[in-house]
Amino acid sequence: MNNQARSSFISIAIVRGLLFQVMGTALGIGLVMVIRLLVGLPAWSAEPVWVGGALAGVIAFIYGSGVLDDWLKVINGEDVSQHPEDHHPGGWKRYLSISFDHKVIGIQYGVTSIIIFFTAGLFALIFRTELATPSLSFLSAENFNSLMSLHGIVMIYGILLGVGAMMNYLVPLLIGASDMAFPRLNAFAYWLNVPAGVLLLSSLFFGGFNTGWTGYPPLSVQAPLGVQMFFLGVYTFGLSSILGALNVIVTTIRLRAPGMGYFRMPIFVWAALATSIISLTATQLIGLSFQLVMFERLFGMNLFNAFRGGDPVLFQHLFWFYSHPAVYVFILTGLGVISELLPVYTRKPLFGYRWVALSSLAIALVGFAVWAHHMFTSGMASYLRVPFMYSTLLVAVPTGVKFFSWVGTMWKGKLTLPTPMLFVLGAMSIFLLGGLSGPINATVATNLHLHDTYFIVGHFHATMFGGYVFPFVAAIYYWFPKATGRMYNERLGKLHFWIMLPAFYIQSLGQMQVGLLGMRRRIAEYDPALGIQNAQLWITIAGYLIGFAMIIFIVNLIYSARRGEVAESNPWRSRSPEWLLPSPIPVHNYGGPIEVVGEPYDYGLAGSRFVDLGGERQAPPAAPQVSAAAAD
Amino acid sequence: MESLPIKDTRRVLIVSSHPLFGQGMRRLLEGRGDVDVHVVGMVSDVEQAVAALKTATPDLVVVDYDDERVNRDEFLAHFVEGAGQLRVVLLSLKEGGSEAIVYDRRNMAAAQIDDWLKEWTYSERVVYQVVGEKNQRRANMKHFISAALLVGILTVVSVFALDRAQLLPVAASAQAGPIDQLFGLHFRIIAFLFALIVGLMLYSILVFRRKSGDDTDAEHIEGNTTLEVFWTIIPLGAVIYVAYLGATILGDITRPDPRALEVKVIASQWSWRFEYPEWGLISSELVLPANKQALLKMISTDVIHSFWVPEFRVKQDILPGGDNMMRELRVTPNLEGEYKVRCAEMCGTLHANMEAPVIVVSQTDFETWVEEQSQVVPEDPIDRGQFWAQQYGCLACHSIDGTPLIGPTWQGVYMHEVLLDNGTTVIADEAYLYESIVNPGAQIVSGFANLMPAAIAEGMTDEQIAEVIEFIKSLE
Repeated sequence: MNNQARSSFISIAIVRGLLFQVMGTALGIGLVMVIRLLVGLPAWSAEPVWVGGALAGVIAFIYGSGVLDDWLKVINGEDVSQHPEDHHPGGWKRYLSISFDHKVIGIQYGVTSIIIFFTAGLFALIFRTELATPSLSFLSAENFNSLMSLHGIVMIYGILLGVGAMMNYLVPLLIGASDMAFPRLNAFAYWLNVPAGVLLLSSLFFGGFNTGWTGYPPLSVQAPLGVQMFFLGVYTFGLSSILGALNVIVTTIRLRAPGMGYFRMPIFVWAALATSIISLTATQLIGLSFQLVMFERLFGMNLFNAFRGGDPVLFQHLFWFYSHPAVYVFILTGLGVISELLPVYTRKPLFGYRWVALSSLAIALVGFAVWAHHMFTSGMASYLRVPFMYSTLLVAVPTGVKFFSWVGTMWKGKLTLPTPMLFVLGAMSIFLLGGLSGPINATVATNLHLHDTYFIVGHFHATMFGGYVFPFVAAIYYWFPKATGRMYNERLGKLHFWIMLPAFYIQSLGQMQVGLLGMRRRIAEYDPALGIQNAQLWITIAGYLIGFAMIIFIVNLIYSARRGEVAESNPWRSRSPEWLLPSPIPVHNYGGPIEVVGEPYDYGLAGSRFVDLGGERQAPPAAPQVSAAAAD
Repeated sequence: MESLPIKDTRRVLIVSSHPLFGQGMRRLLEGRGDVDVHVVGMVSDVEQAVAALKTATPDLVVVDYDDERVNRDEFLAHFVEGAGQLRVVLLSLKEGGSEAIVYDRRNMAAAQIDDWLKEWTYSERVVYQVVGEKNQRRANMKHFISAALLVGILTVVSVFALDRAQLLPVAASAQAGPIDQLFGLHFRIIAFLFALIVGLMLYSILVFRRKSGDDTDAEHIEGNTTLEVFWTIIPLGAVIYVAYLGATILGDITRPDPRALEVKVIASQWSWRFEYPEWGLISSELVLPANKQALLKMISTDVIHSFWVPEFRVKQDILPGGDNMMRELRVTPNLEGEYKVRCAEMCGTLHANMEAPVIVVSQTDFETWVEEQSQVVPEDPIDRGQFWAQQYGCLACHSIDGTPLIGPTWQGVYMHEVLLDNGTTVIADEAYLYESIVNPGAQIVSGFANLMPAAIAEGMTDEQIAEVIEFIKSLE
């Protein structure tokens, strides 16, 4: 391909991909119509035609983007280079095109995640504005239901993208590798997300869907066509999740630097590993459960139709078998960020490193055994509720180990409070709130009151914000100077934090309060007799404040990336190996093997080092720890 | 570390009964060209050492760790009492001389003593104080007590606040008793644990701050296995206990009462119907006698719904299907009053509005109501038709005044032309109306969605259906 063609607008992967998606959808529609004619059905029927078109569109996008090119060459018997070249090696086009560099892919995931987050947040602000007053004012019930359902699934999609961003960017850097084990698979897994997002958002143009993100039949069998776009979109980004997880696991097992035993890995890698084990093995179940509903709709099957011998509760088991472990996918990496950053800002080792590492695996493992706590009122066998109550309460134990270890790290430390640390501390307190509102849901007798109320909404917003949003923001602020070479604006960062933290507390506590008093989930209007209008107004205002704070965040990032103060190489004096590299980090990171000569978190152990980059790139030894002024 | 001019001669006391150790040390120290070190004494037991502490006033005491004649614990006990600016180095030449213990709570390699000595002798900025083991322990104790106090205060404040706040609606069922007790226990545990972690965090944030200009790290504490085991086992025990309590209470609130009052609950998109099989009653309101267990047998005609009265505290999803899908909920209302049942499982467009009154009355009032209901069914077929239309949920979606709701209005529909969604037109005669009731999906009116539950008329007799049709016919 000559340079001119390369640099043309059409050659940018996202542009080509979207063009191909449109054409592929049309082709798919035509194909389905032809098949229908051939089997003697009328050519047009909205549902099968659009589903076929949408599926073909996804495949066409992937092909058109160019991410399959190397693999197609291999199938054809041609040679491909050992180290694949990015399709656009420089400039802003690089980030909109196929790149095989895990850092670029990480940023692609991250930026996509942020855009998606603002979209889902916008949906929330719209229906929260409606909920500020008890009765319907400007939304129809159907539109409310669609916006609410989309808010849920688009947020989940955004969180998975953000988790992908953190894992992809950080894991190779933290283990001293030059990239992930499978760079082409990495690119493929990222690009699956773009057509998936198109599908999800397109559901709005197909009548939306009113089922909530959980898509329970029989309602989802009845729902408008938009629900099919929802199912297909989730299927597609689910595949991305599985493939990304595979990459992380193999990379972690095979590409650690010499000297880095498992218990010398930075703690974030343990979190990424546990997360990926879940993603790799559980995601299939949501694909399956949605696929079965798609078949019920498309082919008239009766799997979940009890009037014809099916069982709607079966769907719930299949669905929640993934969707519960999924929430641990959402939070484990965030908790890993907290564990990773605390030692840096307390100048103390991570307390009980091995216990923290194993607690991530324990949460992942136990998390597979708790799914039916979402189904205590579902009508499944009554006695089944008891073992699931026990297993759910058990998850509190490894989670508690993390909290106590974090407190142990802070205790007797030497704390500083720049923006990343503020978000870490905020994350801890919010995740604590969310986590503590767990056991009350896990206990069946109290769950009977709380299920399907805003108390649950408060619980999961707190765990999501504390386990994902705040740590994700902390990670971005923390690694920003290394990734861009410039420092973010500290005052704007602190402003972001001091608006978002109290706003979030108001939102979460408000949600829990109204839920206890009788506010159900997923309702467009509520009874004024409940006496909760005030609280609802506060929740809405808090939502706007959070949105405002996040806008300050984005402005800070965009401005600082271009005009921020040039950052020193290791402003946080972290022991982690990536901080020994120049900022921004060069392609292939370390440029050769590095050697691990000590423990990752030996702050305070004079003269100790974690890694040795060889040659002139020595890590400075740990600052001698002197009990200056002694223990007062 | 920048070099600063030496202010004073550094005075060193050597404690060892082994002459070679002492001589060797003296030679090492006094041979240094870069510092002025003066060995002020060489003693060989604890008493002499203590005495020398007073007379020779050393800045540094080097103690032979391996010397059995010098009881270092005893020496340290004396040394700790003192208040002077003094450091003690416990040197061990065992284990290949690989380790030295400096009595300011640091471990370092023997090779690093050199650096440390240099830093110690030159630095004027670092203030050295005798930190006895006792002092260290005293300081730790101070932190623990202050933090514990903070946690205690936060716990008390939050428990108090939670107790005073009216977090739950009024309790109106016997089941609510133990459930609310469990809520109370949970709230207290939440308050305590939140105060514990946040209290410790706040204390650390306020007290354990890096002092300005201090570039050094904090204490190298890697962990504490005892603590880890403790804070794994205790929470494990606590959660098992809570689960056990939860299971017991679940048993209590689901215990069947053989004399329960049976009420059939039929949920449809988007209305409720209640049937009392004992008396053959149908009602659109759930009327229950106080202090008698009601056994609700629930079924849906279309999608999953859920029965919930917040004041009763219990909830049960309602599944669509035949008798095998019927689900039970036992509730014993014990506070007379008017409540509402609201559907608690997303069921479509009007999920938010799917509610019905729940009225708890005394036993006598209930019996009166039963009697009234049996007389409430009108005589006239058209009025009866309207009554069934109300009871079976038709009027939730079909208006009688011309307004199109979820379904077409009934006003003026009889014997008029109806445009269907496939473009054809039909006359809405009795056959059409009958089919629309028992087989709703067969013909859909243009402009409306196929939302009428297929089984909505399952419980109706042919007579009731005929009467509804008469009612529809009567609407001009």
